[in-house]
Amino acid sequence: MMRTTTLALALAIGALVVASAQQTPPAPTSPAGAGSQNRGPAVPQGPAPRLPNGKVDFGGVWQGGGPVGDIRMGLAKGETIPIRPEWQAIMDKRMSKEDPEANCLPTGVPRRDPYPWRILQTDTHTFFLFEGNIHSYRQIFMNGKHPEDPDPTWYGHSIGRWEGDTLVVDTVGFNDRTWFDFIGHPHSDKLHTIERYTRTNMGTMTIETTVEDLVVYTRPFKITFTARLRPGEELMEYICNENNNWVGNITGPAKEF
Amino acid sequence: MTGIRAMVVGLGLLASGGAVAAHHSFAAEYDANKPVTLKGTVTKVEWMNPHARFYVDVKDEQGAVTNWNLELASPNVLTRNGWKRNSLTVGDEVTIEGSAAKDGSKMANARVVKLADGRQVFAGSSGGDAPPPARR
Repeated sequence: MMRTTTLALALAIGALVVASAQQTPPAPTSPAGAGSQNRGPAVPQGPAPRLPNGKVDFGGVWQGGGPVGDIRMGLAKGETIPIRPEWQAIMDKRMSKEDPEANCLPTGVPRRDPYPWRILQTDTHTFFLFEGNIHSYRQIFMNGKHPEDPDPTWYGHSIGRWEGDTLVVDTVGFNDRTWFDFIGHPHSDKLHTIERYTRTNMGTMTIETTVEDLVVYTRPFKITFTARLRPGEELMEYICNENNNWVGNITGPAKEF
Repeated sequence: MTGIRAMVVGLGLLASGGAVAAHHSFAAEYDANKPVTLKGTVTKVEWMNPHARFYVDVKDEQGAVTNWNLELASPNVLTRNGWKRNSLTVGDEVTIEGSAAKDGSKMANARVVKLADGRQVFAGSSGGDAPPPARR
């Protein structure tokens, strides 16, 4: 009986994971209010809110919006990822224990971890505050300029501008150390991303990212993921390095995910 | 035993933030085809990131005791699913359903933890390190 129940649960989890790979389901509210049977409030509908300056207000705590397991899940139907064969060979040799994320290093762009994150807007900057992984942030310089020769960094150098109600974030200056997903899709330090954030309604935001890295991929490609608002949620502390002592036990190749 | 306070395994819970909250691939570390059922006494609880863990002394038929290392989701995911840092305490008698580590070490990803009095809790770990989604 126990086993049957467990199997049923496993199947249910599997189904949900599939569903959540691209669109994370609504999540519960803050810890204090989260009963174990609480599905959390429904994702609110209605138009996206606006700031006093008339721009769309992206404020709130969000879930999802980028690749976790496999970046190809964000491709349009029928599209394939244009990875060069020599880089496919590099990817195929990657071991899961080498994943920067498993080692408590940042996801970079456009990868997301399935932890909630918050958007904060000011006139000069937009901030993404990540609960995990890692407990860090991205800063986007509104109407800024990229430096001539940026030092390579994990999240790159991001500038933002508005195209109508869409926030467009252009990022260069990445290092080559992050993976796009669990299965190890690679990129070089020539990576250039253009992310288009559109709050399609109160509870939903689509993030379409053009990934351009002609060192690793033969042409730019687009991925689209959806983030869901987590009403009433607050970010919590998450210090990945606190007790990450079992990475050595992750013996499988990354592609086994 | 402080135990687990009225927690119910339900789809709603599974649909919550715990459904996927991994910082590494599940399949690379655990074998979903190697289910294990372990019964024993909790010897230690680590309510820490990136995964909460607890350790259980499991006695075999000959009476030999092995200490198993059980991985859960992160404390945040567990908290959002209704756990507290003292939901499991040293001395608790538990039955665990999970997936064993691929490398043969005495480690497993705990999926369901059942207390001696029958109360059970979704460990959040299959959520914590979710089984792999189907590939396209």
